Parts: sequence; structure tokens; C-alpha cells
Amino acid sequence: MSISGGKTSHSEFGQLLGGRVGEGARVKTGIMELDEMLRGGFMEGDAVLLAGSAGTGKTTLALQYLVTGITRFGEPGIYVTFEELPDQIYRDAKNFGWDLRSLEEANKFKLVCTSPNLLLESGTQTILDEVIKELPAKRIAIDSLSHLAMYVQENQLRQEAYRLVRHLKTRELSSLLLWEVNQTGGSSFSVTEIGLSFLVDCIVVLKQIEIESSLRKAILIQKMRGSDHDKRLREFEITPGGFKIESAFSEYEGLMTGSARKVASEKFVELFRGASGKTKSR
Amino acid sequence: MSNASETLARLLASEIRGDLLVLFHRNPGLIDTLDGVARRIGRTAATIEQDVNDLINLGVLKTRVFGKSQALLLDRERDREILETVAAHIKDTREGETL
Repeated sequence: MSISGGKTSHSEFGQLLGGRVGEGARVKTGIMELDEMLRGGFMEGDAVLLAGSAGTGKTTLALQYLVTGITRFGEPGIYVTFEELPDQIYRDAKNFGWDLRSLEEANKFKLVCTSPNLLLESGTQTILDEVIKELPAKRIAIDSLSHLAMYVQENQLRQEAYRLVRHLKTRELSSLLLWEVNQTGGSSFSVTEIGLSFLVDCIVVLKQIEIESSLRKAILIQKMRGSDHDKRLREFEITPGGFKIESAFSEYEGLMTGSARKVASEKFVELFRGASGKTKSR
Repeated sequence: MSNASETLARLLASEIRGDLLVLFHRNPGLIDTLDGVARRIGRTAATIEQDVNDLINLGVLKTRVFGKSQALLLDRERDREILETVAAHIKDTREGETL
């Protein structure tokens, strides 16, 4: 590295730091529509909070992110689970055609099952260091941050979560941190009540919404630091092949507050159609 | 009693030991504290401690220290060796019975 006049150039710093300065490289999820919503994918090395109530598909999306990372982009991944045992995850993933055991045997994937307090232990060697030593991963999913709350006091949760996020960032891992939220049916919507939103770079919300007496699923990019993103709430389905994102709920408003109603223009169109039908039938 | 049959007897000495073996074999990526492991088989740390120590002495499980906590994990290499020895012993015993 050449240093002229005691100063190191921007590009030299970039080389020193592994060519990561100012690149804005994207980490594709492999789900085409989601990558479009993210304008190309998550930002490399970012901590992404994936929030949603039970049964919205957080685990499925996290696994798909890791499996696609390995099979399409050659990026090894780690899945950390606190509650669900690995054999259950292997079985569920197989239903989507993802053979996690084979990926583990090929040393491209690692499923770690541990307790949050053990993951939070800081010493000369952490549990993540131990795993990363065996598998130089680029992506990691932690299922879930909500479990940290069971092991640390509420006033320390944000501090511990911050420590974990920084730990992942210093190891240059693009992380997906799952967060279970209570399904909000009221008039407000907040992802976390303990201020985790400020710690992460991106927030993806999965939400169940009721429209005309049926339950549908919606995805929203609520925040993405340093990048433009799709601001619309889009419908998604979990198919046998994984996530499938559909169009935006353009005909409805009030979806986030739990009181979905058709937008005024749609009501007018419906009225017009009704009136037109009656005229024709005369 | 041969080494292999002694090992087999120690592996299957209690129901808890059986539960622990099933847990770690089905979930080889499990790295947890004594308390965490106990919870995953629906027991308490105090009730499994003796069996865990025996499995450590046998070489099936090993320990690692992270910060102030001690973690238990499957010693994959040693475990494979033990399983192969036990499997060979069972095969020999069966063949001996049929002769």
C-alpha cells in the first residue's frame, strides 16, 4: 500500500478493508420480486430485522435466503435457532425441496442450535467465532431475537441486541434477525417496543391482514438505510417452492391499522359497474 | 465383558442417557449449556448431570467454554468411532448366536 503525504487514499482504504468501502454491493435474496422491492437486494453486511407474527413465514423466508445464497450465489450460510430443534427445521425445509443436511455435508451450511445466553457470551472465542472458523459464512439468520428477551432484563435487551448486531457486522456477515411481534389489530403498528428499529439497517415486515373475511399475507419494506425501496404493501404466498410475492394491495387502504377498506376510487368503479349493469339489463 | 459390550451397556444405562443420545444424534449442531440441554429433553440440569458426565467420559459429548459458560456438544469424530465399535460388536454377537 502506498502512502503519499501521510494520507491513505479512499481506494487504498477500500483495498485494506477488503474492497468494501463505498461499493454498496447487494446481497440478493433470490426472490425476484423481493429483490426488486429492495432495489437489487439487501445491502452487503447489513443487519436486517425480519418482523412478523407467528405463522407469517419468517423461518421460511430466512431459510430461503440462506439456501438461495448457497445454491445460486455461492455464499455459505449459518442458521442459528434458539427454540426449534434442527431436526424439525431439516424436515420443514425438505418440504420446500431444500436439503439442508446435504448442504451441511458439503460444508456450505451450518445449523446451530443453542441458547441465547450462550450466543451472548463474550470471551476470547465466541460461539459464532467457533462456527465461522469451520465455515466462512457470508450470510446468517438468527431465529429469533425475541428469545433474547427471555434471558436478559428488559432494560438490557437493546444493549445486548446492539452488541450482537455489532458482533455480526465486524465479522462481515449479512444478517437476518427474526423478531416475533404480536399481530396488531388496532390502530397503531410498531415493529418493536424496545427500540430495536434504530439498531438495524433494514426492516422487513410480514403481516397477516384480513380482507373481506379472508386472511391474506403482506410484506413491507419498512426501512432501508442508505437505499431507496418499494414503499408499497405487497401480497405474498408461501408456495411449495417458497416465497411468491404478488402485486401491491392498490385497491385497499388502512391495511396496516387492521381496518382494510377499499379506496374511494375503487368504490366508485364498483358503483359505476353496478349502475352500468343495471342499465344494460333493462 | 469386552470393551465394546461395556461401552454399549454404559451408553444405554439409563433412560436419560438414551434421551441425550437421541437428542444429539438427531441434532448434531446442538451447542448448549447443561440447563439448555436439560430443557430440550424436558428435564432439569440436576437430573441429567450424572448422565452427561458419563457421556463426556465415554467421549460421546465434549465441552467448550464460551465466556463464563460451559457448553456441551457432540464429539462427532469420537462418537462415530464409538458407534462403529458398538455396531461391529452387535454384528459379531448376532453372527455368534446364529452359528
